[in-house]
Amino acid sequence: MNRKKGMAALLLSAALTGSALTACSSGKSDSNSAQGGGDSGKVQEIVFAMPSFNRIPDDLSKVRDAINAITESKIGVKVDYRVYGPADYAQKVNLALQSGEKMDVFTTLGQFSNYVSKSQVAPLDDLLAANGKEMTAILEKDFGPDMLKATTIDGKIYGIPVNKGMSLPISFVYNADLLKGAGFKADDVKTVDDLPAIFEAVKKANPDVVPFGPINVNPSDTGLLNLLKGTNKVDFLTDATGVGVVVGNDGKVVNFYDTDIFKNGVQMMRDWYEKGYLQKDAATTTITSSEMMSSGREFSFLGGYGGMEVGKTLSAQTGKNVETKRIAPFYFDTSAVNSVSWMVSSTSKAPEASVKFLNLLYTDEQLINTILYGVEGEDYVKVDDHHVKFPDGKDANTVPYTAMLSTGIVGSESLQYQFEGINWSDIELKLKENKETERSPYFGFIFDQGKVKTQISAVNNVVNQYLPGLVTGSLDPQTTIPKFVKALNDAGAESVIKSKQEQLDAWLASQNK
Amino acid sequence: MKRAKGTSNALRKTAPLMMLAAPGLLYFLINSYIPMFGVFIAFKDVNYAKGIFGSDWIGFDNFQFLFKTTDAWIMTRNTLLYNITFIAVGTLCSIFIAILMSELLSRWYSKLYLSGLVLPSLISMVVLSMLVYAFLNADSGFVNKSILAPLGLPEISWYAEAKYWPYLLVIVQMWKTAGYGSIVYFASIAGIDKSIYEAAKIDGAGKLRQIRTITLPLLKPTVIVLCLMSIGRIFNSDFGLFYQVPLNAGALYSTTQTIDTYVYRALMQLNDIGMSAAAGLYQSLVGFVLVLVVNAIVKRVNSDNALF
Repeated sequence: MNRKKGMAALLLSAALTGSALTACSSGKSDSNSAQGGGDSGKVQEIVFAMPSFNRIPDDLSKVRDAINAITESKIGVKVDYRVYGPADYAQKVNLALQSGEKMDVFTTLGQFSNYVSKSQVAPLDDLLAANGKEMTAILEKDFGPDMLKATTIDGKIYGIPVNKGMSLPISFVYNADLLKGAGFKADDVKTVDDLPAIFEAVKKANPDVVPFGPINVNPSDTGLLNLLKGTNKVDFLTDATGVGVVVGNDGKVVNFYDTDIFKNGVQMMRDWYEKGYLQKDAATTTITSSEMMSSGREFSFLGGYGGMEVGKTLSAQTGKNVETKRIAPFYFDTSAVNSVSWMVSSTSKAPEASVKFLNLLYTDEQLINTILYGVEGEDYVKVDDHHVKFPDGKDANTVPYTAMLSTGIVGSESLQYQFEGINWSDIELKLKENKETERSPYFGFIFDQGKVKTQISAVNNVVNQYLPGLVTGSLDPQTTIPKFVKALNDAGAESVIKSKQEQLDAWLASQNK
Repeated sequence: MKRAKGTSNALRKTAPLMMLAAPGLLYFLINSYIPMFGVFIAFKDVNYAKGIFGSDWIGFDNFQFLFKTTDAWIMTRNTLLYNITFIAVGTLCSIFIAILMSELLSRWYSKLYLSGLVLPSLISMVVLSMLVYAFLNADSGFVNKSILAPLGLPEISWYAEAKYWPYLLVIVQMWKTAGYGSIVYFASIAGIDKSIYEAAKIDGAGKLRQIRTITLPLLKPTVIVLCLMSIGRIFNSDFGLFYQVPLNAGALYSTTQTIDTYVYRALMQLNDIGMSAAAGLYQSLVGFVLVLVVNAIVKRVNSDNALF
């Protein structure tokens, strides 16, 4: 009896300690290139997962029917339309892919090369040639002939970037009333060097107001890095860690955190911090700049925005008189373009129907706007050709369906309706800037992290440890940067740089052929 | 024939007990044993086109990221030391609370206090991290503004100085879990035969003497079982405590990095299930070995108290 009890206890403790293991059901294997199309008379069904930043309604059936009415008649495809919030989109999609559940068309939200290196997505070249001509045409018209280079790996196209204004010049975003109160005009802001004098005046006039704040701190503020990237033409080579970048066009991969560009940038931040222009806990605060701004406690931040109308949107969001002023240009590297790309799952049973659907998604005004704004008359009403508004007495929270905040995620911006009050010329400006913004000479290079996964994971940790404190000025760069660089090298930054350099050289050689 | 009858008899006798245990056993089967099947993923380079079974075997490559870096030592040290501290301090606090509660004469008061002490364990770590932030915030926190400033002491930027966090995390963890942990001890004390205390009283033993020679020795088996169970999870840390409460502040990594937070930070971008399975397997394996070792030691010292 006693022995039996002992066995049960042993099993029990084994179960307790084993509970941390990952669960995983069998993946549906080797259906890589399943039967595509065939008889076009039969309606094929695909699953399409869409991220929405709006409230997600419980009942999607009306929108789903409206979408299917368009797709079934035009391309003979029935769409199982799913909508997920931004917080669980990636998780839901990954789970579906890992468990072998049906999932055909989905987007990246920033991890393009990961999906490719694990063969989760299908190459699209042949399918695009057969079913995606209209889409490639509109991409070329709105962005330029080189857009699909950003999603090409080893000569194969794996994704379609969202077609929108991709150029996001760094803007100084500020509370216009406070600027005026401090005795300055918008024209006084030209470069980043003009800012300290303004901060000083704002601080003097309003002691309770924090002159400058980080836009977002999870894991690290991007304002300063984007400013440095744009001003100095730095290409991060599709790897957000920042070890292994090319400055300008010399083709030499270097550690960004060991360059003078970075040192001078964080030194500037340190000066601002020491003069009290930033909050003391800027490196760890969980309150975003727009929240700080709407409470009236913050004067400004740096952010990348396309077009000229963003001040209006931010004013509406924060309830303050917000204006923006561009202070640095944008620089197209690969990740700037492929960070939101639509892909077709490698396990899709209907890759052809999926590409037909993508083709329609980028070229059909009716389909895009149904996805974004819902059913006309119920969810929105048209104002004119390009503009819509909510039905009388309704707003974003009370209409049955809207995904209006996802305009930058899906389809072609040039075919999307705009909300009432947004100047249509802004869309044209964005498209013009798409073509005029300077492209990095390494535009199209995509780094394969596969061989240095271990080092990348270690480097990531080091970057998260030091970067937030440096870009907000709360750590002293004089003593911290040497420690930071040493920790990066200990974590294997050298091998990441070496691997990148080899891949970059190979890529350059293949481009010149 | 006779034997068969014996087993069926035994079965009939234990059937009600088996039914009582069934939901728990089923839970462990589904939640813990079936997933163990996935262990092999830790040794694969998962490729979705080939499927999980078709992916290439890569030996121990997935484990490398846990050991290859300088952080490996820090995170292992932190995980172990914090857990050992939590087990030691936690057991002491919980027994202390349990004894205090059991000495209360009014049942009503002891219930009231115990409920109050259990309440913190119901608060989510995210909420708790905001409570801690309200205390430690550099610009407007309670500690800096209402304690240090009136005493004339300099303000401390808590989220930038790693050296305070070993103490802070232990305090936070105890505040949250000690009350809940005391329930088991409270129940054990309630189960001690009252006549033993009466006999001791007649022999002239005071309160402290009773606690030292009756309560504590009789609690020993409970303490050992609970410690063994916590030792099984000594390589796992409460993610919320080490990630949310320090607000993921980079400057604090040297004292707040544990295996779980490291794995999370390292793999958030890579999204590699092979490597995360490797980390889980490593933690479980070490925990399992530790349980066996500690149990063997307990058995050698006092075989009655061993778990198996």
